[in-house]
Amino acid sequence: MTMILRSALVLVLLVGILSPASESLRFELQSGQTKCISEDMKSNSMTVGKYHVVKPNEDHPLPDSHKLTVKVTSSYGNNYHSAEKVESGQFAFTAAEQGDYMACFWVPEHSPQITVTVDFDWRTGVHAKDWTNVAKKGQVDAMELELKNLYDTVQSIHEEMFYLREREEEMQELNKATTSKMFWLSFLSLFLCLSVAGLQFWHLKSFFEKKKLI
Amino acid sequence: MEKIWGKTWALMGLLLLNSVFNVSSLSVTVNDVECVYEYVIYEGDTISGNFVVVDHDIFWGSDHPGIDFTVTSPGGNTVHSLKGTSGDKFEFKAPRSGMYKFCFHNPYSTPESVSFYIHIGHIPTEHDLAKDEHLDPINVKIAELREALESVTAEQKYLKARDTRHRHTNESTRKRVIGYAVGEYILLTLVSTLQVIYIRHLFSKSVAYNRV
Repeated sequence: MTMILRSALVLVLLVGILSPASESLRFELQSGQTKCISEDMKSNSMTVGKYHVVKPNEDHPLPDSHKLTVKVTSSYGNNYHSAEKVESGQFAFTAAEQGDYMACFWVPEHSPQITVTVDFDWRTGVHAKDWTNVAKKGQVDAMELELKNLYDTVQSIHEEMFYLREREEEMQELNKATTSKMFWLSFLSLFLCLSVAGLQFWHLKSFFEKKKLI
Repeated sequence: MEKIWGKTWALMGLLLLNSVFNVSSLSVTVNDVECVYEYVIYEGDTISGNFVVVDHDIFWGSDHPGIDFTVTSPGGNTVHSLKGTSGDKFEFKAPRSGMYKFCFHNPYSTPESVSFYIHIGHIPTEHDLAKDEHLDPINVKIAELREALESVTAEQKYLKARDTRHRHTNESTRKRVIGYAVGEYILLTLVSTLQVIYIRHLFSKSVAYNRV
């Protein structure tokens, strides 16, 4: 039902869908189930998230059993957003530290298992920028806006390449450290083996000498 | 949703058909089947993306079958499928508009984290150009440029995910190797001590002394 309505609206409006489009990711939640989506974010990057429950019936209000509980946390445990039993909501914050940020959705238990469809739109970095505001402020025309957007995208690609390079270097260091550790450990193992054998030999020799067998 | 569209429509005089539907590379834990839905507005849009299984604290043996990936069109038929893989890229043209279903299936019982990125790109065609007088041929070029940049971004996200998995493998290998080495030493020492104790026991007075 909603699909037909939406596509009808699309046809009527035809064009004018600005770059940060209102389309997003959808997934299903069973009652009592928790689903988490995590995203790796760099420090000081903007992020915007919008979520809402897709109504099975457009006319009737959403029953309590279909309401969501949302929690957005960083990998260090800091809570950035939480909402209980809501139908829709949004959050926006600047990532303080680099790492995995997790948005968890939970639907309360219900005796006949119900499936709730959640529509979630999470944008970070370049895509989080609100281009409508930029357009409003600067009174720039659409093409210039597009080109600005492309320029920002290119910048972010460049930065990402630097980041990937750094990570590759870190991994190389890690591998080198592991190799050198293995090198020393093999010497240690040889030494240990020989010393254990020597100790055994010395101990048994002195034992038998004590027992006057040798 | 419709309110936002109405506002942008009113705000922007010029119309841009180069819409970009993005899902940043997200991670989901797959226990059995995880499905994600994306709406494709225009028929003929290119759906591209990639996914990488980032090991979920468990080292994957070489006999792990991998994860299956299926894309179902709104009509119900499977448009694209990949079986038993630990990560791959995909790209295809959407045969029709509607809600597409992207499913990951994990045949094993251990949960696996999948990092995926799906992008639906639209480039205006001559048909759209003819329909709308505000649309320049330059908009087509800008849309193509945008799509090319998006493909670079997609590659980067794929590389980043693979690099993360590689790092996990390396760290786990390092831990396990050091653990096994230390365990080996302890075991060796223990066994040799037990040997010595046993030999001493054989020679003790309580056990048959004259036997030896």
